[in-house]
Order: sequence, then structure tokens, then C-alpha cells
Amino acid sequence: MDLTPNDEQESFLTATAEWCADNLPLDAARNRPAALWQQLEAMGWTGMTAPGMDLDHATEALVFAELGRHLAPIALLSTAVAARWAGQPGKTALALLDKDLTLGMVRVFDAPGAAHALGLVGGLAAITPLPSDLGGEPGLDLTAPLAHLDPAPPFTAVGGPDAALHLQLLAAAFAVGCADAARDMAADYAKLREQFERPIGWFQALKHICSDTAVRCAVARSQLCYAAGALDAGDPRAAFHIAAAKQLADQAALENARANVQVHGGIGMTDEAAPHLCLKRAHLLSFIAPARRDILLGEAA
Amino acid sequence: MDITFSPAEQQFRAECRDWLHDNVPDRRRPMDAADALAFDKAWQRRLFDAGWAGINWPTQYGGRGLSIVQQVIWLEEYAHANAPWIGANFVGVNHGGPTLILNASEAQKEYHLPRILKGEAIWCQGFSEPGAGSDLAGIRTRGRIEGNELVITGSKIWTSFAHVADWQELVLRTEDGSQRHRGLSWVICPMHAPGIEVRTIRKMSGQTEFAQVFYDDVRIPLDNVVGGLGNGWKVAMSTLSFERGTGFIADQVKQSEEIEELLERARQTGAIRDDGIAAQLAQLRAEVAALRAMTYRNISQVVRTGQPGAEASVIRLFTAELGQRLERMGLLLAGDDILDFRYGNDNLVADYLRGFAATIAGGTAQIQRDIIAERLLGLPKSR
Repeated sequence: MDLTPNDEQESFLTATAEWCADNLPLDAARNRPAALWQQLEAMGWTGMTAPGMDLDHATEALVFAELGRHLAPIALLSTAVAARWAGQPGKTALALLDKDLTLGMVRVFDAPGAAHALGLVGGLAAITPLPSDLGGEPGLDLTAPLAHLDPAPPFTAVGGPDAALHLQLLAAAFAVGCADAARDMAADYAKLREQFERPIGWFQALKHICSDTAVRCAVARSQLCYAAGALDAGDPRAAFHIAAAKQLADQAALENARANVQVHGGIGMTDEAAPHLCLKRAHLLSFIAPARRDILLGEAA
Repeated sequence: MDITFSPAEQQFRAECRDWLHDNVPDRRRPMDAADALAFDKAWQRRLFDAGWAGINWPTQYGGRGLSIVQQVIWLEEYAHANAPWIGANFVGVNHGGPTLILNASEAQKEYHLPRILKGEAIWCQGFSEPGAGSDLAGIRTRGRIEGNELVITGSKIWTSFAHVADWQELVLRTEDGSQRHRGLSWVICPMHAPGIEVRTIRKMSGQTEFAQVFYDDVRIPLDNVVGGLGNGWKVAMSTLSFERGTGFIADQVKQSEEIEELLERARQTGAIRDDGIAAQLAQLRAEVAALRAMTYRNISQVVRTGQPGAEASVIRLFTAELGQRLERMGLLLAGDDILDFRYGNDNLVADYLRGFAATIAGGTAQIQRDIIAERLLGLPKSR
């Protein structure tokens, strides 16, 4: 039993963090260069756990948390799952279906350049081909172009239940990263911004908002690591642990993002500043493979 | 990262489980203080004799010399078997002892550690004072050096088990006119020494587990100083790092059992059909799982580097607040039956009332948040 990253995972993480710092600045998240996707593919992040790669979900989850911290393109989630379970190379957009599944419309995120979209249908990962000209306009999350397909095209299930767990795990990792970003942004601002002739982070009222962001991050990250390890180990309770990770990661991302806006005060309200990017990303993530209550309560069949 | 236990660890778990299955007493820990003390001592002795006390303590002091991972496995099985709360042995086993292992002289360790493990010596803590709570460096209890003795004057408060303790981990000011965290010493104070008076304080739960201790020219040997005269702050911080780091593993593990009991009760009473209650229980179950994961991460860190990580203060705070959320959920499920509570009852109402201590003792939740902000996030110190 060891829930700390091993040396290989540490070096993976360091490399990812350095690359992201240079190529994925968070405040440019809504205006990524067109060539970025090719770079992400070249770095190997689109198919880390694809067959033949011999990488475990634990490493993948840590790397995706790092990518999520920089609000990396949302299609990385669907692309990784498609690469692992559908043998689908290339970019795969992310699909979110209406609650009543078969009917109604589907939202497709990050479609430009993608031949397929992947989402959850009836609890299973499923894929559909996309029209070649499907673009998108910014929705709530300004980093992910959004298009609607109405009516929804037919989807084909890929992989077994583990494919859906994989998507949930990676979405949780993105949310953990998003929560980390909001925590750090708030703490940095609390050290910088001065009122009453001292940094606002001196005041306990602000300090404790920041502490709570750190607590939520530590809680969510710990469960993420455990959940990834459970999936790797074929643990019979993996579905519960991944659901718990998603539940706590979504909360951490949302609550930290809100706290970050509050710590920033007036500037936090603006379109120009970055806090709302985390907030809006957190809202999007909360709809991607959300934790099911029956699984959290151990009641699922 | 790997969540699986080795075959040897699994074997160890099976041994723990078998022994606990055969040996956990049917009788609950008594409420009466004298009976409870006898119960705690007998149980600790039984654990020691069977090799389950001090699993990760060095063998030369009566421990088993095993890993902290095995210690955690034991505690998991212990909670699972519904074995008795450690009671009066808490301070000795969970932070007095570990502090001695790290800081004490050979003679001190040889004398005290086996006695703690055998349940022969009960310890209490003497950190807080009427004027030094969160501001621990405001300690005013004095130890005047006279020859090879310390002469102690002052008072400590909120001292759990003071009325039954044999020894106290006492932090006092040994340097005249010293300020704040300088000039303090951590000493082993015999609680039966002349000049010590213990006045128990009744809690709002009805129990008298803590006390105020008065020292009136209490003479103790200078040899009882641990870690050197004037180094008390440093030694006390190592005590607190146990208290905040690994000292509460038993509590963390126990919460895994508690959430399942709550869930069972909610199913039996039908309360789970209430959407709000179901949502809260789902949330609590996720949080309890995460606490276990955090505990494992912290343990992994100890195995890797020899000390708990910076996240230890996060775990302490999260454990405390999660424990209170569980107690409050228990109360919610009990409904108006809680109104029948009387002093002397040992039930979920007593747990709830006693549980307020979790965010006060050993550093309040507010102090823990200060520490997290300052040490983990680098925010400016406001004290």
C-alpha cells in the first residue's frame, strides 16, 4: 500500500507541469492556439492508457489533474476514453446527453477537428460519428466550443462498465486540478492584494476561506488517488470509490471556484480576470459522469 | 501508487481479526470513573500480553517493532471488531509515548515506555492554562530551578484523565522573564507529588473526564526534563504533531464503521426515503472514504520520509469536522428520543455533546485553519 506517487509518476508529473506552464497558461484558456491539439497528441496525453501503452490509471489520473489545473481542452477526457476502449485514434469530442437519453438533443463540446463524440448513454460510454463541419460557439464554459445535435444521433456503446468509470475518473481528475487552480489563485491574490495597509490574507476571515480551499483539494485528491488505484487493482468497490472521488472533486472545484471569486472581490466579478474560468469549468465538469447517489449509498444493483 | 496490501500484511490482518474475534470483551466500557479506569488498564494489559500494544514501537521498550502500515491494519480491524475505546491510556499511548520515543533520554524511555504499553502508567497532558488556550506560548506555569529540582507553581486546565493519571506531560516556563515560546521546558510530572491538587470539571455530557490541575511548590527532579531545559516548545510541537498527525488514526478508522451504522439505522427506520437525509448520507459516505484515503496517503508519506506530510493538519481538521457531522447525523436519525437523555447515559447524545471537543482540543479548528493557510498556502502570519 502506497498512496504517494512513485519516482516514475513524480517525473511524469514534473514534466507535465513544466509543459503546461509553458504551453497551457490558464488565463489563455478561452483562446487556445489551433495547433494545440496536435501538441497534446504529440505529448502522448490523448491516449496514455490506450492498449499497448502499459500505463496505469493512477499515473493517468495524476497527469489529468495537472492538465485540469490549466483548464486543458475538455475533449482530452473523451479522447482518452475512446482511445482506451474504442481503439479510436484522433480527437473525440465530448457529448452530454439529455436525461431521457434516447430522445432529445445532445450537446457536443470541443468538436472542431473531431470525427466522433463520446458520452455516457444509460450509464455506459458510447460513441457517435460527427458531421465533419460541426463547429461550436462558446457556452457557459468559455474554453469549450459547444454545438447542439437535435435530434441526437444513434450512439454505440464501447467497452463495459469500466469505460464509464474511466470517464468518471478522468473528469474527477480534471475537477481536482480545477480546484487546485482556484485554491492557488485565491492564495496568491490574498498575499498580493493589500487593504488596511496589509495583505488581505493576513485577516483570518480571508485566511480561513483559503484554508478551506486547501482542505477540499486534499480531500478530493486523496480520494482520486485511491479510486484510480482501485480501478488499477480491479477492486470490487472501484465503482463506489470513483463515484466518491467525482462527488468530492466536483464539490471542491465548484466551492473553491466560488471562494476564489469572493477572495478577488470586485475584480473577481469581471470577464477580464481568470476566476470565472475555473467557476464555469467546474460547472461543466459537474455534468460529466456525475456521481450517482445509489452507488454512493451502496445500493446499486 | 498502489492500494493493495502485501501477502504478509494480509496475513497480519487475519491474525488481528482472529484475535479480536476471540478477545473483544462483551461488556461495554463502564461509565463510572473508577470502574472505567480498571477496565482500561485491564484491557491495555491484555493487549500488551498478546503483543498488540505498541505495534510500531521499538522492541527494546516493549513494542513489536513493526511498521506503521501494520499499526493501521490493527486499528482498522480494531474498529471493525467494535473493540473498546482506548480511554485513559489515550495520552500515554498516542502522544506521550511517541514524544518520549523521539525526544527522551534512554533512562526515561526504559522506565516509562513499557509501563505505558502495559497500562500500568496513566498519562495526562498539561499544555493548556486558564490564560493560555489557543495562545499556547502564553504559558505562565513556572518551574523554578533549585539545585537538582524544579519547583512548580501554577495551573493547567482541560486536562483529560488528570484525576486518574500517574504522570503528566507538562509544559512550563523554566526561564525567568522568558517570553512566548522561549524558555519553556517539557517535563514528566508525577501526578502523585505533594502540592498537586486536581479539581475535576463536569462536561456538558455529564462526564468528569477532564480537570483543572493546581501546582503549589511541587518539587520534581530536574532529570524529568525531556529534550533539554528550554527546548519545551520544540518538544511540545513534536507532541502536537503526533496529536495532529498520526494520533487520531483510530478515530479516522472508526468513522468508516460509524457511517455504515448510520446507514443501517436510516434503512431500518425508513429515514433514508427522505431525500435530504439520503443526500447527506451519500455525502458522508464519500467523505469517510476520502478520510481513509487521506490517512493512507499520510501513512505512505511517513513510510517514505519518516514524518507526516504537510497535509497532517488538514487531516486533523477534516477528521474533527467530519466526526461532528456524523454525530449530528446520528442525532437527526434519533429524532425526539434525544430529549430523554440524562447524565450517566452513554449513547449518541453523549457522543454528540462530547464531540464538541474535536474542534477545540489540541488546537481549535480556527487555529488549524491558521496553520493550514500559513504553512500550506504561505499566507502571512497574523499572530
